[in-house]
Amino acid sequence: MISLLLILIICAAVYTLSSSNLLHGVIAMSFVSLLSALIFYILQAPDVAITEAAVGAGVSTVIYVWALRYTKRSDDGDS
Amino acid sequence: MATPKTRFGKIWSKAGAVLSVAAIGFVLFPIFLADNPWPVEARDYLAAMGQAETGAVNLVSSIYLGYRIFDTLGETIVLLVAVLGTMSILSRVESLVDDSPADDAGKSGADKAGDALKKSGGFSLSREKRHSHTLRTDLLEAVTGKIGPVILIFGFYVMLFGHVSPGGGFQGGVIVASAIVFLTLGNPGAGTLLSNTRVLSTLETAAFLLMLLLSSSGLLFGQGFFGNPMAGAENPEVYIIILNAVVGLKVGASLGFLCITMMGGHK
Repeated sequence: MISLLLILIICAAVYTLSSSNLLHGVIAMSFVSLLSALIFYILQAPDVAITEAAVGAGVSTVIYVWALRYTKRSDDGDS
Repeated sequence: MATPKTRFGKIWSKAGAVLSVAAIGFVLFPIFLADNPWPVEARDYLAAMGQAETGAVNLVSSIYLGYRIFDTLGETIVLLVAVLGTMSILSRVESLVDDSPADDAGKSGADKAGDALKKSGGFSLSREKRHSHTLRTDLLEAVTGKIGPVILIFGFYVMLFGHVSPGGGFQGGVIVASAIVFLTLGNPGAGTLLSNTRVLSTLETAAFLLMLLLSSSGLLFGQGFFGNPMAGAENPEVYIIILNAVVGLKVGASLGFLCITMMGGHK
């Protein structure tokens, strides 16, 4: 179970790095946080699970999405 | 992701990726091979003595508000510095946005700034509302306005019962911060008292001052810096509860302050 979740986390993290659409990357990153919160809960650390779910999947996703809304998308050469 | 256009650059970026994976593997490989037993001394000591010494049933909170409280103090200071840095960056961005369309030279700076903000949608939540933003529906306002107080109560519960159940100051503080964001989104116009950044910053600084006072309160009872003044008393967990509440208020106020500032509600 845990190794399945870890493999899913690695897949989502690779997708976060490689996706060209930044919004998709942000969603995949919050998916990583959600899965790690699940792993923390399975490993009997509910404190850490609450923090990970609230900070990683909640607040940081919201902040990233706001930052994306106020920035422009451009694709000229590198970056 | 870095996607250089030249072939040479592509090869280099791939080589860098392979090299970094190899380096991580090189560092982590001995850990997989090692068969040392886990250190059990600290764990056994905490399991045996933690509740008696700090009064907290939840051993996690007895650690981060008892044995490792200097880490907690450092974390709250880091949070304070993060808020300061974000504020300085955001104020710079706001001034850049204000300066961009400088075609009407007759107006004063403040008027121009207001115009620029109105044109671009600006950083302001209330201005966005007036322009009937398509994403800001009645559904969003009704749901967030109704669910916000419930989340606020849940955050305070997690904060104040951190010594007996999973949770504590940091977790409850983050939940309180999301409740503050919900209340701000759900109450159009002036918002609630908690959406006022002046109130939030006052709350944060007051909580930090209170934490410093609490940290030195042990000195008066001969317990040292961050010593529990009620260590010998009947219920030493009162100190943990107060510290949890203070840390939670500080985290909630500063994170809510950050989010509201990013939404543009800063006054």
